[in-house]
Amino acid sequence: MAGPAVQSGGSAPAPQRVPVWSEWVGTAVRLGLAVVWGWAGLAKIADPAEAAQAVRAYEILPEGLVKPIGYGLPFLELALALLLVIGLGVRLVAGVSALLLLAFIAGIASAWARGISIDCGCFGGGGHVDASQTEYLQEILRDTGFLLLAGFLLWRPRTRLSADGWLAS
Amino acid sequence: MSEKNREGKRTARERMLEQRAAEEAGSRRRKKLIVGGAVLAVIAAAVVTGVVVQNQRSKPETPTAAPAGTIGDKNLVIPVGASNAPSVLTVYEDPRCPACGIFEREFSATIDQLEDAGKIYTNAHVVSFIDRAVPGKGSKNGANALACAQDAGHFRDFHDVLYRNQPDETNDAFGDKAVLLNLAKQVGGLDTPEFQACVNDNKYGGWVSAVQQDFDKSSYKSTPTVLLNGQPIYPKNGNEEITPANLVKWVDAANQGKQLGTAGSNGQSPAPTAVASEANNPSPSAG
Repeated sequence: MAGPAVQSGGSAPAPQRVPVWSEWVGTAVRLGLAVVWGWAGLAKIADPAEAAQAVRAYEILPEGLVKPIGYGLPFLELALALLLVIGLGVRLVAGVSALLLLAFIAGIASAWARGISIDCGCFGGGGHVDASQTEYLQEILRDTGFLLLAGFLLWRPRTRLSADGWLAS
Repeated sequence: MSEKNREGKRTARERMLEQRAAEEAGSRRRKKLIVGGAVLAVIAAAVVTGVVVQNQRSKPETPTAAPAGTIGDKNLVIPVGASNAPSVLTVYEDPRCPACGIFEREFSATIDQLEDAGKIYTNAHVVSFIDRAVPGKGSKNGANALACAQDAGHFRDFHDVLYRNQPDETNDAFGDKAVLLNLAKQVGGLDTPEFQACVNDNKYGGWVSAVQQDFDKSSYKSTPTVLLNGQPIYPKNGNEEITPANLVKWVDAANQGKQLGTAGSNGQSPAPTAVASEANNPSPSAG
C-alpha cells in the first residue's frame, strides 16, 4: 500500500483530527438538541396530572409506572438539556438522548399501529384526541430529526465551547 | 561508547515514552470515568428530584374539600334531580368542550324536564382537560365555578347558563373569572360574596383536579360522555342516534314498571316547558 507512513504508531489512540468547522457545527447541533430537551422538559412540568395522563394514554406501561415516568421524564429531559449546554460527557449524553428518542418513536409507532388516538405529549399536552387530530407521522418525523442531531454528536462528540474540550486541554 | 550502551539508552528512552503514554492513557480513562460518572449522577439526581417534587406538587386523587352535596366514594360527582329516580344519567362534560356546548344547547331543557319529573337522577362529572390541549384556564376555572355553584345550591342553573354562553374553544373567556362572575348574575341568588370568593380563590381547585384524574383513569376518552344506567348513549345508543325525543323514549323504556322519583326542581329553576334547542351566545365579554 503506497501512502504516507503512519506517523504516530503505538498503542495510544491518535487524537481525532476533526476540522474546525465541524467542531463549530457540533456546537450548533449540541445547543440545538439542548433547546429541544429544555423545551420538552419545561412544557411537561406545570401539571403533574397532565404529564401522567400523557404517559397513561399510550396504554403501554402498567398503572404503577405511569406517575413515576410522567413525573421523572421531564426532569431527565432537563438534565440532558443542561449537560448539552455545558457540553459535559457529550457522547454519553448523546447516547442517552438517542435511546430516549428511539423509545419515543417506538411508543408513537405502537400507538399508531394499535389504532388508538392520542397526542404524543412530546411538548406538553398529550392524552386522547379525536381520531382526526392525530399527527403520528409528523411526530415520528420530528423525533427522527432530533435523532439525527443526537447521532451527529455520537459520531463527533468533540465540539467547541464545551466542558469536554476544556477538560481535555 | 559501545553499541550495547547506546542500545540500552534507547530502550530506556523508549520505556520512558511508553510509560508516559500509558500514564496519559490512564489519565484519559480516569477523566472519562469521572465525567461519565458525573453525567449519570446528574441524570439520576434530576430524575429522583423530579419524581419527589412532582409527587408533592400533584393534587391528591381524593380531594381534601368537596362541594356540598357531592356524591360517590370520593365526593367527585355532582347529583342533579331526585336521588330516588329510577334511572341514572351520567354525564362527563368539560366547560370548554364545544361538543358539550352543542349537546347542552340541544338537550339541557329535556334533561331538566326529565329530572323535574323524577325520571332521571343525573350524575355530573365536571372534567377539565381541554386546558391541556388548548392553552388557557377556562376548563379549570369554569369547573371550579360550577363547584362553587353546587356549594350554593345552584349547579343546574349556572351549568345551563355557562353552556348557553360558551365561547369558541380557542377563546379562553372562561379563564377570566370576571366573565364567570358576570354570567353568575343571570342565576338568581348566586351572585353572593361567598360565591365570588369561591371563584376568585379557586376554592375547589384540588377537587377539580381529582375529578379530572378520576376521568383520566376511566375508560372514557372524550366528552361529552353520556350514559343511561351505565350504557353509553352518545352519540348513539346501539343504532339509534341520540335526539331529545329518543332520550325521552329510552328513559321511559328503562323506567317502565318502576316507581318514579320525587318530582320537583330541587331548588333549581323549573325546567322550561318547551324543548326547543337554544342558541349559543359565544365569546362573552367581561363587561
